[in-house]
Amino acid sequence: MRGFDPRWQDVPHYIIGITRQIWEARHIGALRDLYADGLVVRSPASVVVDNSNIIAATMATLAEFPDRELLGEDVIWCDDPQGATKTSDAYVSSHRLVCTATHAHAGMYGAPTGKRVTYRILADCAIRDGAVYDEWLVRDQAAIVSQMGFDVVDWARDLIAREGGPDNCVPPMTPANDVVGPYDRQGNDNEWGTRYADTIRAIMAAEMDVIPRAYDRAANLHYPGGQNGLGWRDADKFWVGLRAAFPDAAFKVEHVIGRDDPMMPPRAAVRWSLHGKHAGWGRFGTPTGAEVYIMGISHAEFGPFAGNGAWGDPTIRREYTLIDDTAIWKQIHLQTGAHP
Amino acid sequence: MKGFSNKFKDLPDYIVKITKEIWEDRGLATLHHYYAQDIPMRFPSGLVRGNAGVIDGTLATLAEFPDRELLADDVIWSGNEDDGFLSSHRLLTTGTHTGHGAFGAPTGKRFTIHAIADCAARNDVIDDEWLIRDVGGIARQLGWRPSDYAQYQIAQEGGPDTCQRPFHPSHDVQGPYTGRGNDNAWGKTLATILQRIMDKDFTVIRSDYDRAVKTEHWGARGGWGWDFVETDWMRLRSSFPTADFKIDHQIGRADPGLPNRAAVRWSLTGKHAGAGFFGAPTGAEVHIMGITHAEWGERGLRREYTLIDEVAIWKQILLHTGQTQ
Repeated sequence: MRGFDPRWQDVPHYIIGITRQIWEARHIGALRDLYADGLVVRSPASVVVDNSNIIAATMATLAEFPDRELLGEDVIWCDDPQGATKTSDAYVSSHRLVCTATHAHAGMYGAPTGKRVTYRILADCAIRDGAVYDEWLVRDQAAIVSQMGFDVVDWARDLIAREGGPDNCVPPMTPANDVVGPYDRQGNDNEWGTRYADTIRAIMAAEMDVIPRAYDRAANLHYPGGQNGLGWRDADKFWVGLRAAFPDAAFKVEHVIGRDDPMMPPRAAVRWSLHGKHAGWGRFGTPTGAEVYIMGISHAEFGPFAGNGAWGDPTIRREYTLIDDTAIWKQIHLQTGAHP
Repeated sequence: MKGFSNKFKDLPDYIVKITKEIWEDRGLATLHHYYAQDIPMRFPSGLVRGNAGVIDGTLATLAEFPDRELLADDVIWSGNEDDGFLSSHRLLTTGTHTGHGAFGAPTGKRFTIHAIADCAARNDVIDDEWLIRDVGGIARQLGWRPSDYAQYQIAQEGGPDTCQRPFHPSHDVQGPYTGRGNDNAWGKTLATILQRIMDKDFTVIRSDYDRAVKTEHWGARGGWGWDFVETDWMRLRSSFPTADFKIDHQIGRADPGLPNRAAVRWSLTGKHAGAGFFGAPTGAEVHIMGITHAEWGERGLRREYTLIDEVAIWKQILLHTGQTQ
């Protein structure tokens, strides 16, 4: 890894290592070097430009959740030869984490509830010269909020008020406030990435019959809100529920990585977006007509056991998909005026 | 596959398809073909002989949970056509409690549990079996504490003198399968991990498990990370601190398209002599049949699935203490 501290053996080692160093070993000041100047961090909740506020934000989170642990479940990555500089190789990684924490002190989630929370994060980072220089991140806010005992819809409404009302609150990420960063590539062209992106495209084209073909009958599914599912019925329930709420929204595959590593099953990471009107009944209740932008990240692991296609056709054995339900409700509330 | 119907491409195909055909597609009568007439089936709840008992048991289960599904999570196997195969089949079972049966009057509740079946197969026939169902997981999801359900089961089966005896090696019979698995390194790795846990060398979890390990254990419980898995094994071992630990069968596999993985069947036999997963010590003599499946990744053991039957263990404890009412 030219351009990186030689102690990092490979991209997963770097990604898991710096995550642990910053958050758990408290090298928060190291963010000055590990995050590049001008870095754009996009999450469904906000678009944050530059690393100047990141140290403050990190400390605020740790003040609220001092025992937070970040367990690196997987790092699905690829080379980015076009991003290389004179001094460094470049890579892009999609990192899946399970976080556990105790809501011990007051903070952005409100007064401390004392609740233990367990939730996932999927974070896509472009890296070179030893630092992250572009980022897209989806945190399962609905899992956090519901484990604290709040109703997701009400919590999003209260958040608007806590942030100073509709005119002053932090605007969720939309194409209007997104900032184009230096990383503009689309990943790699490995067959497993293509296979997974094609499956999600088919789902978004309402070809729901793709699910029993493309998923293992016993697929283990992990969806937003900390919801775990099993098999074709639960895959269908999640994806149909999402698409039904935004039936005409524009769907776009933004980024695709596929990998087949010796010690791992074949796997893929796909970042995608849905942009359009909340025009149907589905995951978000009564249609409101609100214009909503959704950033989603999905990880899949494949296995050799066939679905209802021919024996030997590989299928998705484990799927992890995140969107941020609270950011979607915030957009809906801001447009319907259903906020205090 | 020599000796098998040509509709099966390989052993996992055979196992997955006959499971669906027999139990989900209502092919109970095909058990006369697929199960040997005098097959010994070892459940933690007791030894059952012969396919006729299996057919009646299946019918009773379907009457209680007619929508039961058996989803194949993995088939970890060893052997060949000549010596016979051994398949360790991990299933996810779901169902709705809509009928009367072993769990009493219907509650309308749904359950999802794991089961692992070790089946010996030769010439298209299953002729030897060891099966652990997460009965404690079903009981919990239908609203019972596993110990209460064990008490109920004893009463339903006619009381402590006549109820079915949970499986103990002294009841075992020698079936046609005499294999011990294979020599693959991943099977040895898992056997070593389990041996170290049972030797109370609990450092093995932090040294050999991925920090983000996903664990699925008995009682339909699970967790991420070292804490859950470490605590759960400690509570099990501390309940039976002096019990003999034995590795009964071990398979490792490195297959294309799958992570490296292993299946180990093991047992603990001895006294309920410590506080832990099963409450205060009672001194009961207990036999525990366990099966563990594991998958590895780039940073250690990444997924662990272990089943024991809590209800069969509680039943042995209650029969010893006499708290059967």
